[in-house]
Amino acid sequence: MNHGPLVFLGLLVSVVCSWAAVVMVPQFQVGDQGMVRIEETGQDYPQAPAGLARRGAEVYRANGCQYCHTQQVRDAGEGQDLARGWGARRTVVRDYLRDQPAMIGTVRYGPDLTNHGIREHDRVKLLQRLYNPRWVMPGSPMPRYPYLFELRRVGPDGGSSLNALPLPEGEGPGAGLEVVPTPDAEALVAYLLSLRADPLFFEVFPPPAPKPATNAEPSTLTATNLPPSP
Amino acid sequence: MSSRPRHSAEKRVAVEPLDAAALERLALLDRVARWPVLALVVSGLFWAVIAGGLQVIAAIKLHAPGFLADTAWLTYGRVAPAAANLFVLGFGIPMGLGVAAWLTSRLGSVPLAWRGMMLVGVKAWSLGLLVGVVGILGGRGTGIEGLELPAFALPIMLPGYLLMAAPVLRTFAQREPGEVYVSQWYVLAAVVTFPWFQLAGTLVAVWFPLRGVLPAMAGAWFLHGVFVLWFLALALAVVFYFVPKLVGRPLPSRNVALFGFWMLIIAGPIGGPARFIGGPFPAWLPSLGVVGNVWLLVPLVAVAVNLLLVLRGQRTLVKSSNALGFTVFSLAACLLWFGLNIVNSLGFFRHHTQFTLFTPGLDWLLLWGGFGTAMLGAVYYLVPRLMGAEWMRPAWVRMHLGLVAGAVVVLVGAHLLGGWLHGSALRDPTVPFVDVARRYIPFAATGTLAWLLLLGANLLLTVQIGWLLWTTHGASCVPEVRSWLRPETREVNP
Repeated sequence: MNHGPLVFLGLLVSVVCSWAAVVMVPQFQVGDQGMVRIEETGQDYPQAPAGLARRGAEVYRANGCQYCHTQQVRDAGEGQDLARGWGARRTVVRDYLRDQPAMIGTVRYGPDLTNHGIREHDRVKLLQRLYNPRWVMPGSPMPRYPYLFELRRVGPDGGSSLNALPLPEGEGPGAGLEVVPTPDAEALVAYLLSLRADPLFFEVFPPPAPKPATNAEPSTLTATNLPPSP
Repeated sequence: MSSRPRHSAEKRVAVEPLDAAALERLALLDRVARWPVLALVVSGLFWAVIAGGLQVIAAIKLHAPGFLADTAWLTYGRVAPAAANLFVLGFGIPMGLGVAAWLTSRLGSVPLAWRGMMLVGVKAWSLGLLVGVVGILGGRGTGIEGLELPAFALPIMLPGYLLMAAPVLRTFAQREPGEVYVSQWYVLAAVVTFPWFQLAGTLVAVWFPLRGVLPAMAGAWFLHGVFVLWFLALALAVVFYFVPKLVGRPLPSRNVALFGFWMLIIAGPIGGPARFIGGPFPAWLPSLGVVGNVWLLVPLVAVAVNLLLVLRGQRTLVKSSNALGFTVFSLAACLLWFGLNIVNSLGFFRHHTQFTLFTPGLDWLLLWGGFGTAMLGAVYYLVPRLMGAEWMRPAWVRMHLGLVAGAVVVLVGAHLLGGWLHGSALRDPTVPFVDVARRYIPFAATGTLAWLLLLGANLLLTVQIGWLLWTTHGASCVPEVRSWLRPETREVNP
């Protein structure tokens, strides 16, 4: 250990091996994954996101939403993600093929957003939530994003803009002013509404449902849509 | 085999009654290393103060969400990664390299080589970092945790790093023949591997991103590699230097230290995937990370046995020496990090801590408890020797140690305990998410207090170094600056 080159060589081997194991081998294993045909719907999964949602992902990244919200659902044995209703199944590599980059997150200061588009359909509520989260969820520690909105003066005849945000009773910037979402806010909402990772395919069949305590009628068993358990 | 007498590096470390020639030699080494080391230390301290300010803003936002919410540049999702990057790359790299350069010069008993390059390098590094962090604050962050700096930052920073690191390696190569000491291995490991981690990570995550989730894995690989092979390795280098030196006892076993070193080098870089246990990756990958982390048990024991034997029965000495106080605190934090990192990889524990405050808490434990205090201890020891002047008030050094130790204990304690409660609430599906937030908010607020303490501590050191520079060089600088401001008119004779 008194020779610098020896130490250097050891370091090189160690770092290159770890690099190969952690990045390159997974790349060879899953890097060429493609879309998979979902038999029930006949569609391929995952589909490329719509243009507005793709732009919304950029807004999501630029504002660092992933520092508080994860986008990964773990199996029942790893945590209570499924019980919390954050997804019907765990997420796998294939769910993220279209994400550039995949913002899976590491801390949950806020809830998981993997399947946010399934839980939430209301564009207006989501915009209100971005403007002031406490209107929708009292006690929420989420920051406000007023810079994703414009304050405009209402016209002299009292007519407001077509896309002005409906405000809750007694809230808002004051009389004579309206809140209009910017294109960034609309894109972000389109992205959040597009988030879903629920199709079932061979990798992700959910664990078999627990058997009911009483003996079920044979007829109900044949009518189920559940995939056959392996 | 060299025909010159073999000087044992351990002997150079251990305190002996040095003769006048040896003392003169040390003073010469310190004088040669003065400006480059000081430039790196001051640069690290500068970024630590800036990052501290940003981190205080980020921490306040966790429990007061309306704070500075109107400015896009200061939203939590931009300030938090900006502060983290500044702590790691702005504070960690120059500060670590400065101390590494000084250690290399002293342990090799040769003057620091290529000093001008370090002065240029630190400027390039800081410029690239500034550009990158402004990019993050402006919304150009990459979204890969650990590698947030935009693609255009690294081409400026990396040449800067090479200019700073090459003199350290050159000095090491010119060392006096003889045994290479433990600290020198750790310094070599940190200085050599960091650019590989950063370049390889940025390559596949930012410049030519792989598809899907793999860039996130590359980010975790980078982050864990830097935490183990930069922060932990340099903290251990400083600890292995100062503990035997200041206690005045040699290391009990060089072979055990050697074994621990190589186990750390092999196991350290593969622990990263454990950050994504249960995540969307091939299942073997997080398992590999767990293996890497549990393997750290071996270096943990090796480091602990060696150094705790040196420290046994030295309580009064540790209390009386500032450098030793910082160093021993750092050693304790490193050992605690080792242990918690191992436990946190195991399923029963991880199920409580995954996705909670615990994760940042563990990172801060190593970054500030392990690395930060070791570097500060070294700075308090080496800066007066470089400058040939004493600190303004010895009591302030003690106060700084108290502030940093208090900040780390409060910060890490709040995050680890809060993380456990945060995780317990997450694991109970009957608790609505708003109530989960109510559980962790008090602990996040406690974190703000700790960050304020740490910011104050770093400002205190800045004031002390500024005062030291003023008393030693103010008298010669002031006329010079004055002459720039008011140039004398000169007669030009034809």
